[in-house]
Amino acid sequence: MLASFNTHIFWVALSSRPFWRGALLALELTFVSFAISIVLGFFLALGRGSRSRTVRGGVFFYTWIFRATPTLLQLLFVWDALPEIWPVFRSGWFTPFLAAAITLSLNEAAYMAEIVRSGLLSVDPGQELAGRALGMSRRRILRRIVVPQAVRIVIPPMGNEFITLLKLTSLASVISVTELLTAAQNFYSTTFSYQEAFAAAALYYLVIVSVLMVLQSRLEKRFTFTSRGRKRRVVAPAVPAISHDAR
Amino acid sequence: MSVLRAYDVTKWYDELEVLRGVTFEVAPGQVKVIIGPSGSGKSTLLRCLALLEEPDRGEVLLEDRRPEPGEVGMVFQRFNLFQNMTALENVMCGLVEVRKLPKREAREHALEFLGRVGLADKAAQYPDELSGGQQQRVAIARALVMRPKAMLFDEPTSALDVELVREVLDVMESLAGEGMTMVVVSHELRFAHHVASSVLMMDEGRIVEEAPPDEFFSSPREERTKRFLSLVES
Repeated sequence: MLASFNTHIFWVALSSRPFWRGALLALELTFVSFAISIVLGFFLALGRGSRSRTVRGGVFFYTWIFRATPTLLQLLFVWDALPEIWPVFRSGWFTPFLAAAITLSLNEAAYMAEIVRSGLLSVDPGQELAGRALGMSRRRILRRIVVPQAVRIVIPPMGNEFITLLKLTSLASVISVTELLTAAQNFYSTTFSYQEAFAAAALYYLVIVSVLMVLQSRLEKRFTFTSRGRKRRVVAPAVPAISHDAR
Repeated sequence: MSVLRAYDVTKWYDELEVLRGVTFEVAPGQVKVIIGPSGSGKSTLLRCLALLEEPDRGEVLLEDRRPEPGEVGMVFQRFNLFQNMTALENVMCGLVEVRKLPKREAREHALEFLGRVGLADKAAQYPDELSGGQQQRVAIARALVMRPKAMLFDEPTSALDVELVREVLDVMESLAGEGMTMVVVSHELRFAHHVASSVLMMDEGRIVEEAPPDEFFSSPREERTKRFLSLVES
């Protein structure tokens, strides 16, 4: 009932230390996993285009495992089962945050690989040929010519993945990472103010995502290759900007 | 004495023999124009000469040795400019990335060559903002700035609107006039007539006929050449 919504309690929750700490932690977890998954996804994407069958098979297997199992299961597996399998993970350095970061990075990389690959493929191969005719090595062509152009193509779908990741961090509450959802749970377990607690957490997510959307559109402009002062036709992204997936 | 020489160049794509032992040579300052139907192996021959393809048999020699990267310049049908770089950066690219020239120096050379193709005022434009003819001239400058010993043109005007063909041919003609050694795949017969030292007819991976342009166009020897010319000229 909206009538029972207590604005004061809502403000208390919103401005409380656990909430903004939780938001900060969620953001940290998102950034770390996002960064690692891009690097990992890049190499997976290169692997998918590899001439070696074994490498291609390996990438396929990796993607299959991480896309075909629920993220929550993966998270619990890393946190609870991994220390059973390898004693290395039983010591103090293996924190819930680290477990969550590892899981989300590995999971996200499977999706990133596809995005990075479509970005790399979107660059006309004629440019690679021209680079080779000048005597550039394949690595240099990739770095100077292909990647900068692929970046523009992958920004929208990657923005989408960032948002997905941010929301996935709420799963980490089950392995006692004190992110936003944990903050909300802790809050209502003592005050029984469910509406206010969830509303406060939701507002944090909304604000973060909104800021991100602004950053994304700036980034898109930054990687549009045209001299200043001229409107450019919009390049249709090779990947749908919005995709629904229930991870 | 030849600058560029192909000896017995043979190339297979899977089961298909695209080049069947092509041998020919280009003397310094010569301009060879290659014509022939699509699938005759013209483009593959150029790619072998530019070292973009490794021949399965035979060899390509520049001044009797293997060419170094950039020593044989290549111009493509679809320009293939780097879309993330301005016209100037496109021309600088080879000097900076391959020849390791300092940026300032590369910039000076690049501007000079952009000027030579008449595009000094377009230095800051991205390929997207240039016409096809302008893009192709930037592509020519990008190859020329490497000071190649020979230039290869793969149908440089076939992707252009009719009214833009002239400006590209003009650049090529003045280049020929300066004594550049050139191999041009093109069906611009008037260009071939005016500029070529000799014209080659290719068909099914072989050179069918080679002759100076006057002779080639007025009295072709081979039946295949006659048939092809009657189709192109009509």
